[in-house]
Amino acid sequence: MSNPNRRERIESENTVAAWVDDGMTIAVGEPFPMALVRALIRRKVKNLTVICSGIALDMLIASGCARKVIAYYAGGGIGVPVAPSFRRAAESGEIEVWECEEGILTSGLEAAGKNLPYLPWRGGVGTSIPELNTDLKLIEDPINGEALIAVPAIKPDVAFLHAAQADAFGNVQHHGGPGWIDLFLHRAADNTVVQVEKIISNEQIRASAWHTTIDNADAVVRAPYGAHPFYSRGHYVQDTAFVQSYLAAAQKASNDNDRTDLDKFFNGFIEKPHSHAEYLEKVGIKRLLELYEY
Amino acid sequence: MRKEILSPQGAEAHPEGHPEGLAQAKKMAETYSTAELMAVFLARDLKDGEHLQVGVALPVPEAAVRLAHIMHGPNMELVFLGARMNVNHLDYLPLPEFGWDNRVVRWAESYSDRGHRFDQVKDWHKRVFFIGGIQIDQFGNSNLIGIGKDPRALKFRGPGSVGTPTLTTHVGRYYIVLNQHSARTLVEKCDYVSAVGWHRGGSDARAKLGLPGGGPKYCVTPLCVMDFSEQEKKMRLHSVHPGISVEKVIENTGFDLIIPEKIIETIPPTQEELFTLRMRVDRTGFLKNAVRD
Repeated sequence: MSNPNRRERIESENTVAAWVDDGMTIAVGEPFPMALVRALIRRKVKNLTVICSGIALDMLIASGCARKVIAYYAGGGIGVPVAPSFRRAAESGEIEVWECEEGILTSGLEAAGKNLPYLPWRGGVGTSIPELNTDLKLIEDPINGEALIAVPAIKPDVAFLHAAQADAFGNVQHHGGPGWIDLFLHRAADNTVVQVEKIISNEQIRASAWHTTIDNADAVVRAPYGAHPFYSRGHYVQDTAFVQSYLAAAQKASNDNDRTDLDKFFNGFIEKPHSHAEYLEKVGIKRLLELYEY
Repeated sequence: MRKEILSPQGAEAHPEGHPEGLAQAKKMAETYSTAELMAVFLARDLKDGEHLQVGVALPVPEAAVRLAHIMHGPNMELVFLGARMNVNHLDYLPLPEFGWDNRVVRWAESYSDRGHRFDQVKDWHKRVFFIGGIQIDQFGNSNLIGIGKDPRALKFRGPGSVGTPTLTTHVGRYYIVLNQHSARTLVEKCDYVSAVGWHRGGSDARAKLGLPGGGPKYCVTPLCVMDFSEQEKKMRLHSVHPGISVEKVIENTGFDLIIPEKIIETIPPTQEELFTLRMRVDRTGFLKNAVRD
C-alpha cells in the first residue's frame, strides 16, 4: 500500500503549461510530448528559448512562442529536408539559432545536471559551429593540451517529456527505453513534467522498480495518445498523413507567404480544443485507432 | 523453419519449374536504378564485423547496410535510433518509412536508453557512418548549416548538424552519399562546415586538429564515385556510373576534380545483389523507382 499522506503530482496539461512564463527556457523531449506542446502554444507565451527539434520545434516557431532555438536538428519530414517555419524564421532573423549538435547539446545539459560551469567536447572542433555560436569556447585542455570545445551549462526552466506510464508520485517508466535526450533534459531542468499514456499504481511501480527511468518528476499529466501525430513506443505509430498536412500548410506559409492553411491548422487543432481530450475528439477515434500498433 | 526466398539461384535450381518466371526475372535484373547501383557499391565496401550507423533520411545507405548484412556480413551490427541489431537471418529487413520509425528497431538487442549514446566514442573506430550534406567541398568537408555569407541572414537555412560533427570526428571511416551531383552541392569551399572531412587538405589535416577518426573514404553521387588523393586528400574521380561521361561529371562539379589517367566504370549490381535488395530490403521499390540523377 502506498503512503496516504504523500503528495500526488497529477496535473492537467493546462495547469503545467501555466508554469511557463514569457522568456523562459523550455525543453521538449523525444518522442514529442505533444499534449503539453499544444497546451503551451494555446497559452501564447512569447520569447521562449526552446530546446527542441523537428516538427514540434516548427510548431513552436510558427505559433510565435520561440525567440531563441537550441536545436541539433530541424528536419521536416518526407520530401521536406528543413522544417519550413524554422527555415523562414532563421533566414529572416525572427529567431536566433544557438548552433550546436547532439554531443555539444548533451554536454551542456550534462554540465547543468552536474552543477558544473561547462563540460568539454571534441565533436565540432574544426567546424564552423564555435564560430557561429560564441557561447562555445575553444580551449586547450590542461591535461594533454588537446583542442576541445567548452560547452556552457544549459539549464531549462521546464522539461516537457512523454513516457508510457507513471504513478501519481512522479515515478516514470518509459516503454522500450526513453527518447534519447529525455534523461539529459530531466537532469538539467529545474522542473520536469511528464505526460504519460497511462497512470499506473504505486504498487505496480514497486513491482518493477528497475524499469523506473525518472523517479522525481514534478508533475505527471494523463495524456493517452498524447504524442499524436507522432509515435509512442509500444502504443501507436506516427500519423504520417497528419504530419504531411501540417508540413504542407507550413510550407505554404513559409514559401508563398500564405498563412491561411497554417492558421486553420492552429485554430482547429491547437487553439480551439481547450484540452487534450477535446483535441482527441477533433482528431477522431477512427483515425486514432488506425494508428494503434507497435 | 525459415521460408526460402526466391532468388535467381533458387530459380536456376528448378529451371523447368518456373521457366517464364526465370526469363522475367533475368530481364528485370538487366535494369537497375542509379540509387540501387549506389547502394550496391556501398554494400560491397563494407566488411563483416563492422558497426554501421546511418544518418537521418538517407535511404541509399540504409539499403546498403542491410544488403551487406545479408550478403556477406553475418557479424555486422546495424545501429539505428540508438538500437543495435544483428538481423541477417530475417527474411525481410525493411527500410524505415520515416526518419524516426521506431518499428524498425523491434529486433534490437540493446538500446542506448539512458541517453548514453555518446558515452563510448572511444570504440567508434569500429564504426562506419554515412552522411549527406547541402554542400560538400573538395576536401570532403560537409555543410548542413546553411548557405549565404551572413550567418544572421542566410539565403538558405539548413536543418542543422544533427550528430554529424561528433560522429565524423570519431568513426573509423565514413561515406558521403548525395542524391544529386551538381556544382551547387559540390563546391570549392563550404559556406559553413558542420562535419570535418580533410579540413584544408593534406593527409595530416585531421591529426593536426586532434580528430581521432579516419575521415571520409568515398563520396558517392548519382553520377560517379569519388575518393581522396593520398597526399593532398583532394577529391578524385574513382569510377563513373555506366552511361555517364567524365565530361558530365566535370561539368557538374564545382571544383577541380582530380581525374586519373585510367577511368573505370562502377560495377553494376549482380543478379543476386539486385534480387536480394529488391526482395529482402526494398520491397516497396523506393530505390528502384528513385528518379535517375
